[in-house]
Amino acid sequence: MEYVISVLVLMGIYVILSSSFNLIIGYGGLISIAHPIFFALGAYTTGVLSVNFSIWPPLALLAGGLVALVFSLMLSLPSLRISGDYLLITSIGFQLGLLEVIKHLGFLGGASGLGNIANVIEGDNRSEIFALISIGLAVIVFLFIRWLIQGPYGLLVSAMRDDELVYTSLGRNAMKVKLVIFAIGSACAGLAGGLYAYYYQYVNPDQFEILQSSMILTMVVVGGMGSQWGPVVGAVLLLFLPQAIGFLSFPPSVMAPLQGLLYSLLVIIFLFVRPQGLMARVVRKDA
Amino acid sequence: MTLSILLQILWTGLAVSSYAVLFAMAFSLILKVVKIWNFAQAGFMGLVFYSLYVSLNIFEWPMWAGVVLSFLVTTLAAIAFFHYGIETLRARHSSSLTFFILTLVVSQFMGYLFAMCFGTEPLTITKNIMSPVMLVGGIVVSHWDLQAMGLTALTVLLVYWILNRTHMGQFMSAVADHPGLARLYGIDVSRVYLYTIALACLLLTVGVYLLGLKVAMLPNTPLQMMLLAVIATLLGGMGQVFGAAAAAVLLSLIQSLSVFVIPSEWQSLLIYAFLFMTILFFPEGFSWTAMKSWFTVRRA
Amino acid sequence: MIHQKRRPFLALASVALSLSALSWSNVSMAQATDTIKFGMSMPLSGTQALFGADQVKAAQMGVADINAKGGVNGKPLEMILVDTQADPQLGINAAKRFVSVDKLPIFLTSWSAVVKAVAPIANREKVLELSVGANSPEIATLGDYVYTTFPLADVDVAALAQYSHTSLGKQNAAVMYINNDSGVEGANIYKSMFEKAGGKVVAFEAYDAKATDFTGALLKVKAANPEIIHIQGLITDLPQVIAQMRQLGITTRVSSYSAGYNPKVIEQLGAAAEGLIVTSLAPSVNDNPNVAGFINRWKTTENRIPNGLPYTQYLYDSPYIVAELYKWIAKNKLPATGENLRKALLAIKTFDLPMTGMLEVSADHRVKKPVYLLTVDKGAFVPLATIK
Repeated sequence: MEYVISVLVLMGIYVILSSSFNLIIGYGGLISIAHPIFFALGAYTTGVLSVNFSIWPPLALLAGGLVALVFSLMLSLPSLRISGDYLLITSIGFQLGLLEVIKHLGFLGGASGLGNIANVIEGDNRSEIFALISIGLAVIVFLFIRWLIQGPYGLLVSAMRDDELVYTSLGRNAMKVKLVIFAIGSACAGLAGGLYAYYYQYVNPDQFEILQSSMILTMVVVGGMGSQWGPVVGAVLLLFLPQAIGFLSFPPSVMAPLQGLLYSLLVIIFLFVRPQGLMARVVRKDA
Repeated sequence: MTLSILLQILWTGLAVSSYAVLFAMAFSLILKVVKIWNFAQAGFMGLVFYSLYVSLNIFEWPMWAGVVLSFLVTTLAAIAFFHYGIETLRARHSSSLTFFILTLVVSQFMGYLFAMCFGTEPLTITKNIMSPVMLVGGIVVSHWDLQAMGLTALTVLLVYWILNRTHMGQFMSAVADHPGLARLYGIDVSRVYLYTIALACLLLTVGVYLLGLKVAMLPNTPLQMMLLAVIATLLGGMGQVFGAAAAAVLLSLIQSLSVFVIPSEWQSLLIYAFLFMTILFFPEGFSWTAMKSWFTVRRA
Repeated sequence: MIHQKRRPFLALASVALSLSALSWSNVSMAQATDTIKFGMSMPLSGTQALFGADQVKAAQMGVADINAKGGVNGKPLEMILVDTQADPQLGINAAKRFVSVDKLPIFLTSWSAVVKAVAPIANREKVLELSVGANSPEIATLGDYVYTTFPLADVDVAALAQYSHTSLGKQNAAVMYINNDSGVEGANIYKSMFEKAGGKVVAFEAYDAKATDFTGALLKVKAANPEIIHIQGLITDLPQVIAQMRQLGITTRVSSYSAGYNPKVIEQLGAAAEGLIVTSLAPSVNDNPNVAGFINRWKTTENRIPNGLPYTQYLYDSPYIVAELYKWIAKNKLPATGENLRKALLAIKTFDLPMTGMLEVSADHRVKKPVYLLTVDKGAFVPLATIK
């Protein structure tokens, strides 16, 4: 049971990550894959605050989100004023570059990671409580994004994404919308990072590399980019699958590459067979 | 820092920039003509390496046979990828994100495949990685250095000749500028793509051959080498294959020389710093014509 | 239309659910027989698998030998094995599995990042975590339930540094290290010990894990004119660094830690490897009569010697430690909990192990063992010195 519950915690975290990533790339149409770095920034911020100060956990989580938001502006401001395609390359460079910096900083634990993060929930029901918080936060984020998208702001975003030229010629500031979307999405990732840090009490820079980007991207693509439930379905499914595979008795040398192989194969199949993902209603012409 | 140290670093830095140049040119060429940010290149680099490894160490063929086989295998695989993968997405007018996902994921897929087949031990093409050296005016010159610079120079000249002196080269430029228009003029665009891919694979084959003689490869080594290729392409200017080559040399040399200015562990960070500077100040790539036009009036 | 959309989702969901149902049944079947269980989480796949897989094989040999002699008080010893890929996240999953699914009071693991990542779980759940083979000095401070049965880096690197100055008479040393946790920690230990012994570290250069060209750092080292160069790297870069070093005409003697004790180094370097000093924390055939039999067993069953021989010796011995702990609690009529196993560890304190000899586990979570220095002479590793 405990094991299933720990998977639930992870599920909540990844639902937040995939939903917020979907906000950025699916709804916002912004080609960035640097989502894990904001996840990392949130985790490290919360971790460092908890290791060095005895701070009220929700505050540390918010701090994580805030730091992620600020850093997202550092990425989006210079890159977006040029062209969307450049954001892709800059985001890769930003992610990997910041990770390198983190690996060199002693107070962040360097390459061996930040450990000894305080345990904020004592007792036998620790995992259950974390699972509740994680799922709860995921629900809040999901509903918030849903409210954002279905509201008037969402219309602005769709308009901007579908035809930026027209949008701008109507006197609207596309840049501002992009920055806001990017900031909100990244802040959510930061929150998820803080939760992650508190649950595992250990943060390691290697967990936020391109592989993580690929995983979150897979969840969004398989689930359905630009649909609301898509990322949720993607997250749940793609967390379930490796856990299940992990229990099967394949020879170990086959196991890890096999998981990776299945992941990448899944994405490739989906890109061709069902580019709109599992949950999308409409086959978008630019999917 | 003495003169001899400086010269030594310049020499070895230049030699090592050889494979960086080849990888950057391949990436830039595909971007120029096929208009794809081909992150799958890492997967194909791996394919070259492991084909070479298998031919030399398992079939026990001579080096030249292994190289030819690797080139053929990789070119075929690349062509298949472009035809079944990229063309399909193109027909659907997919977004750049989709292309990005596909190319990256194909690289990863190939990486996992190699890991499953070859394990994750670091492998070298040849058992021994030492290369005989000689002293030339106080500078240590190894046989590998000479081979690397020689082969790279030859390859670059070959590419130059193809792009600028052959009909196929002209077609490539035409397709790069406007595929639709090129088609109207009767150019077989698909055939041009084929040749471009083959040329890129040639560059990769030579580059991986040189790299494999010097360094032990893991399944994910190629992906790590891609960063410099991408940044060199950006810095060199979109559509400037030789600009990318020059940028690759520059970046390599700066990395090598920087050890005297910054602590060696920060060297990799330098590359990212360059990426940012490029995006901020030279988004269209660094080109002399752009610089000149800042000062002169452009002719219509 | 709604049905159309949901169908693939349902199909996928049912596949996932049936897979997990299969897995649950697998797990419950394993718990049917009455054995003494312990957990083992090691990299069985991924870049470290070449070492991890062999270490696991060695541990399995140990378990088989114990069971052949009657097991632990008549019950067979059983090792529950999970793959970590040396990845902290997977290590955490493995530990959680041991604790909540398999309900194990003790597990063994290795690779410093994993050991650190799972420490909070061991401490929280009061499950005994034994680190076998990881060498980060931080391991000694990870908590009450984390103990190492393998000497940490401050044992062998320190001994090497001291030996280089005191016995080899080197006054100046240069240190080159890979910029990751094991490189940084080991390099710092070498530096402080060498200087404490009275020497001077004239160059201290890091290189990036992804670097392929080390000319700059090497030339800086060369300019400092050291009498010995210590390289704290991995098997992926160590031969390359030495190759480029020799090609640049640097003939200074080179030392490394146990990562360099690998036949691949000699294979890739040829004559350039002559004189290389490496450390080993396990006795060789000359020091311990059991080792020859161990190596022969590998040659007959696997047709080769194990990767990272010294580590496999420690892993062979680890089930013996577990067996001793269980015997102690059985003797003292205590239930098999992590808390009691920890008591056992501190009470027994000294273990006489077949492949690695005497092991003393101290309350400060450290172990001290003799350090064996070897050097490459005429294309093979030969013993150089033993430091107690």
